[in-house]
Amino acid sequence: MFASSKRLQSTGEITPFAGPPSRERLTVVQRGSSLELDHVSVVFRRAGEDVTAVRDVSLTVAPGEFVALLGPSGCGKSTLLNVLAGFRRPDMGAVRLNGKPHLGPTPLCGVIFQKYALFPWMTVLGNVAFGPRRLRIANPKAVARDMLDMVGLSSVANAWPSTLSGGMQQRVAIARALATRPSALMMDEPFGALDAQTRGLMQAELLKIWMQLRPTLVFVTHDIDEAIFLADRVVVMRTLPGAIGAEFEIALPRPRDPAVMETAQFLNYRRAIAGIIRSEALKVFCP
Amino acid sequence: MRRARRMLAPLIGGLGSAGLSVAGIAAFVAVWALASAALNPVLLPPPAAVVKAYGELIADGSLAKDVGASLMRVFGGFALAALVAPPLALLLGYFWTLRCIVLPLITLLRPIPPIAWIPLAILWFGLGDPPSYFITALAAFFPIFLSAFAGAQGLRPEHVNAARSLGARTDALLLFIMLPSALPLILTGLRIGLGQAWMAVVTAELIAAQSGLGFMIQASRLNLETSRVLVGMTLIGILGAGMTALLSLVERRLIVPWNYTK
Repeated sequence: MFASSKRLQSTGEITPFAGPPSRERLTVVQRGSSLELDHVSVVFRRAGEDVTAVRDVSLTVAPGEFVALLGPSGCGKSTLLNVLAGFRRPDMGAVRLNGKPHLGPTPLCGVIFQKYALFPWMTVLGNVAFGPRRLRIANPKAVARDMLDMVGLSSVANAWPSTLSGGMQQRVAIARALATRPSALMMDEPFGALDAQTRGLMQAELLKIWMQLRPTLVFVTHDIDEAIFLADRVVVMRTLPGAIGAEFEIALPRPRDPAVMETAQFLNYRRAIAGIIRSEALKVFCP
Repeated sequence: MRRARRMLAPLIGGLGSAGLSVAGIAAFVAVWALASAALNPVLLPPPAAVVKAYGELIADGSLAKDVGASLMRVFGGFALAALVAPPLALLLGYFWTLRCIVLPLITLLRPIPPIAWIPLAILWFGLGDPPSYFITALAAFFPIFLSAFAGAQGLRPEHVNAARSLGARTDALLLFIMLPSALPLILTGLRIGLGQAWMAVVTAELIAAQSGLGFMIQASRLNLETSRVLVGMTLIGILGAGMTALLSLVERRLIVPWNYTK
């Protein structure tokens, strides 16, 4: 009882979404680009042995689409995201961004990490302005301020990241990734380290931002409800080795409200997906 | 009563720690005074004689000159090492080929103590200032380099990935990600390196110089002026501790504030 009331209090620090103060700069954000995995396999060498993390995955993400990669740990979903972000080249197959070979990390493809990965030696504003500065975008600080406004954090622009709560740090990370105007956004279990209440608020905020800017979004998670609530399409991964097991088009209307999680349609998706996930998780649990 | 004691505890603790420190030094001086009373003053002069020698050396201006000469050599050599070691460490941390070429060399040179370089330094640079600069730079280089290299190795891969996906190229990565990420350890290295340089300068001056605290100690020994030897020794201790304390203060307050905000 005491613990839950304390939790509720701690969510009070999340300020409600304020909306963009200056539309003209934000509309410069590029419309989503397409992403394509073409028969991709990734092999890790572990203790002298080759372990196939991902085998023969083909996936096409349409411009502006919101895709959730869902699966238990060990299914290679984070590996796939690293391939999509350009951090790792596939050992077989090809990755394409807007139809062209995708050969390395690029500001076209923003990334948000589970552990935020903010630079602790820069202030919040410095973190968000880092990308615009590298790309020589005019007035990087103003761009950064707009982005912080969008995630409702302009009041902590001059704070060190380590002084912020986890939810605030992740919102800074979202602002930082969006400040380079990426046409695609990769999110690797971004809300996994947050408490349940904060996670719910972050999901709602992410949907608002995505509706506004419409980047192509690939979202890795192991939370079934999160995947269904957010995505246009849920891609369920199989384990050992990682591969695509099933895909579900989520036909829930947008904009979505958390109340949608109570509907029969949502629960049907949930039941179907949970069955697959359970048997896949068992394969990893007792191989 | 108990509450009053609890409220006063931090105050007493702070006073107590300073008081105990002073008591420790006082006890040391007392033992020194007692021992010197029993011994020949050439073997161990009493504290009062050392204080008197301080007075004489300050009055004739020679102490200030010697301290100045030693400090010049320390800061000169230290500055050289501080300019070379951190960039080298970061480059080795980033470029695999360079690391393979240079790191074994450094591993082989590191165990050679600065004092072993003195003969070579005299042959190369003659007597006077230059060999002392060489020795202090050498002494400061290794701790700075090793600490900075550890800092470069501690770089988190997700920081590199994040920077790359935000458009950072190699130069920006080295300057804005690797350097600040390694900065806390670079500063630790600088603090240790300054201490090493300070110890090395005295060694170098004992042998290779015509001025400085080390030279003063050596000259006083030959004249059997042991109290002046002790002036040199105590001053080396005080100045060395002061430099380290000053650098750690700068480190906390100015250079890595993000580590000390809590």
